[in-house]
Amino acid sequence: MTTISLSEEPRHQASSSLAMKLKNPALLLLPAVAFLSFIYLLPLIDLVRISISGPSWLTYFQRVFAVPLYWESLVRTMQISVTVAFLCLLFGYPTALLIHRTRGITRALIATAIVLPYFIAILIRTYAWMVLLGRNGPVNKFLVSIGILSEPVQLLFHRGTVLLGMTAVLLPLMVLTIYSSVSRLDPGLTRAALASGAGPIAVFWRVLLPLTLPGIGAGFLLVFVAAIGFFITPTLLGGPGDQMFAMHITQQADSVTSEGFLQALGVVLLLITLLVVAIAGRFLGLEFIWGGRKLTETTAGKAVPAATSGTARRSFGSAFADAIGWPLLRLFGMLPASCGTWTVRLMGGLVVAVLILPIVVVMIISFSSASYLTFPPPGFSLRWYEQFFSDTNWMRAFWTSALIAAVSAFIAVGLGTCAALGIVRGNVRGKSAIMLLLVSPIIVPPVVLGLSLYTLFLKFDLVGSVFGLAAAHAIGGLPIVVVILSAALQGVDSRLEQAASVHGASSLTVLRLVTLPAIMPGLAAATFFAFLHSFDELVLTLFLSSAQLKTLPLMLWGDINYRLNPVLAVVSTLEVLLVVGGLFLARPALATSQKAT
Amino acid sequence: MAEPLALRAGISGGAGVATSQARGTRASQVIGSSIAVRGAEKRYGQFRAVDRINLDIEPGEFITLLGPSGSGKTTLLNLLAGFQSLDGGEILVDGKPVHNVPTHKRGFGMVFQSYALFPNMTVTQNVAFPLRMAGVDRATTERRVAETLEIMRLSDHANKSPSEMSGGQQQRVAIARAIVMRPKVVLMDEPLSALDRRLRESIQIEIRDLHQTIGSTILFVTHDQGEALTMSDRIAVLDAGKIVQIGRPLDIYRHPSNRFVASFVGESNLIEAEIMQKRGTTVTLKNRAGYVFDAESRDAIDVGRVTVLVRPERIAIANEPTGSSTPVTVTSAIFLGEILRIEAQMDGGDTLLIRCTDTARRPLPNVGDCLHVSWGSEDCWVLT
Repeated sequence: MTTISLSEEPRHQASSSLAMKLKNPALLLLPAVAFLSFIYLLPLIDLVRISISGPSWLTYFQRVFAVPLYWESLVRTMQISVTVAFLCLLFGYPTALLIHRTRGITRALIATAIVLPYFIAILIRTYAWMVLLGRNGPVNKFLVSIGILSEPVQLLFHRGTVLLGMTAVLLPLMVLTIYSSVSRLDPGLTRAALASGAGPIAVFWRVLLPLTLPGIGAGFLLVFVAAIGFFITPTLLGGPGDQMFAMHITQQADSVTSEGFLQALGVVLLLITLLVVAIAGRFLGLEFIWGGRKLTETTAGKAVPAATSGTARRSFGSAFADAIGWPLLRLFGMLPASCGTWTVRLMGGLVVAVLILPIVVVMIISFSSASYLTFPPPGFSLRWYEQFFSDTNWMRAFWTSALIAAVSAFIAVGLGTCAALGIVRGNVRGKSAIMLLLVSPIIVPPVVLGLSLYTLFLKFDLVGSVFGLAAAHAIGGLPIVVVILSAALQGVDSRLEQAASVHGASSLTVLRLVTLPAIMPGLAAATFFAFLHSFDELVLTLFLSSAQLKTLPLMLWGDINYRLNPVLAVVSTLEVLLVVGGLFLARPALATSQKAT
Repeated sequence: MAEPLALRAGISGGAGVATSQARGTRASQVIGSSIAVRGAEKRYGQFRAVDRINLDIEPGEFITLLGPSGSGKTTLLNLLAGFQSLDGGEILVDGKPVHNVPTHKRGFGMVFQSYALFPNMTVTQNVAFPLRMAGVDRATTERRVAETLEIMRLSDHANKSPSEMSGGQQQRVAIARAIVMRPKVVLMDEPLSALDRRLRESIQIEIRDLHQTIGSTILFVTHDQGEALTMSDRIAVLDAGKIVQIGRPLDIYRHPSNRFVASFVGESNLIEAEIMQKRGTTVTLKNRAGYVFDAESRDAIDVGRVTVLVRPERIAIANEPTGSSTPVTVTSAIFLGEILRIEAQMDGGDTLLIRCTDTARRPLPNVGDCLHVSWGSEDCWVLT
């Protein structure tokens, strides 16, 4: 038997090379690539086409840079984004260290305090800040009660609140990125530095900081890129002088006359984003976008020769280090070790408070008995829950959102699972490029994506349709699924699959009996996050929905702009519960995907 | 800060590098500290990782903490390094308590199992790190680094990045970094366990020689009994957070104090026997098979059942019965190269492990063969 089948094997292979090719898992990439090409790449290309369709291809762009309103807004957007990225870094690094240094239940609590807000809708977290800083909010009440203010003042609607709100919204991204780089360090390195006579500050400066520099860079640029395209938070927290670039695009979108110019605005924002990402990719490898590492580990080897070459610069540098750097480090070394520890604890604690307090306040307010927003509530009742559940508009919006999210998750998980299988198990050239395409929707500003999709949706009469919205949301859900499942698949030993097929299982059986069960936790997590992504999505929905099709975030958005009442707090509380429940279910998968990356 | 600085400066100005090639002799100059551990205790909840340990270490001594994983040896080392704090007792270095001195001011050198070389620095920068931290000037630093690299035979690799080096080379860099300050105490946490056997043996000898040269007190943690026997002045055997025996390698091997030490250090035959008669520290025993033999014991022991240790290489074998021998049946015989490893069964069920050197006169016995084994009273040790 064996000899026959062995001798037949080569002939069989040769005769059906097409069949063999069809068995290449790389083919599984096709559906996702086709989907993204049609609904994501094509509209973006179309966007660029329209933007250069003026009398001369430069016409619309000249207007962008000639009108002070837009030019100034662009500069302002850059300023705000850089400031936010710095603030996130300043507070995020100590927080990442804090998570790294604590153990057991404390660590779990702090990590939850960071991760939980990460998955709560930006709209809701911004709303929480509006409640917190409002005239009847706890901050005003507190400042009045301790006598700093004589009466409540307007704390909202200026640059400070924009920076605070955006920093708070983007901090988890920074903390998680830096933490993944800190946690990869050999703990022996810190001990070795201590044992070599380095004080805590010196350990930080000479060992910790240089080794986590790639993580810092990745975090900084991810936050910066996200901030450039920010729309929700500056709209709600900013004043007239805090218009960010993305806000102009949505405002212009309402007027039909601006065709071409509008697209040019979008293209400018897109180009800036891509430029920043390209620069970042040059230094960090584009893998930083999805938190992966460079496939070839050359960073350590590269960094060192740079330090030994260039003698002139080196001698100046070393003279400087001799005269100032090292003595300063030694001086700091004389500080009690608790200084560093307490800095980390205080700043980390502050971050945890800033991330968690708004959510807690909103949850408490949702049980308020008052008919307006005030904290602390004069009494507790379920009246706002009753109002929410009995209001047909809210309930319809809720079910619409749930339906769209379910369809969207189905699309994203279906395409994403195939794509992840293809990318991890397939044998195909240009894996990095394909991965980049699959993950790139994360970095494209949602405003630009919404704008580009609008044209496509008009053409195919998809505006205001459930399926259209679900498909649009799946553009952002797909990268989430691909990243989680690729990590999960890489965690599955491919020898397990080989072992199964050696013992007679067909490829489909292997998939069913070995691969899928192994990635089941990852699949569950990916489904949940794809669902959540769609459920929370606002910006694309603003562009693509109609008056008849209202989703929950759309209702929230309308109400926040119209009046701030505790029904919004109810919706927020329900969302938090949804996320908490989902995170709890997805916990095992998150743990493994963190190990794998 | 002032005191270690002065001390470090003194070292760098004075001795330079002692290029003594002397082996097997004491270091020409002992710079090591004495260490006294008094009732040291470390608890994790109810579990005592280090259970009221007392240990006195002489200046310049090479002492090994030997034990299985979880015996508390690494915890004890971490307590000495200051990575963890004591829950009870105290540690004195040169007579002064160190519990208030943070790690970076203890002035120790340390070598880690994972090497823990800074990947962002070259070999030179790694080795220079402790000197820079101590504020040694650049010229002296460069000289001292060059000297230390020379000793560790790393001069050709000075500008390499750690990631470009083999495991053995990396570990030598780690050792260079630990000794470049001429520290009074060097702590080594299983430094050789990640290396292959051949490399391990050569670095063992290197560390041993280095100890003679620099005269520091060295605390070496390992779970490898061979390593401990090869390198140490004294070995402290740990089990369940306690030191169960401390002594010179020869004493530990020949006269273990209990079953745990006997079976953890070297291969052993543990035989249950009944004391028949005693004359001072020599006792006459009879085992289950009725074989009567003499054994040495540490102190006079009362009559009763005891366990005795016979090392496999101390058992004499013969094909014909002699006056003091007992017959055994071979159950397995393996040729290991320079030695034969034979397992045999005594009457009454006890299994004996025998190791004897390979000679042309002795053929490899077959399974089922009958051999006659014997041992003298000096080859047999009563465990307490």
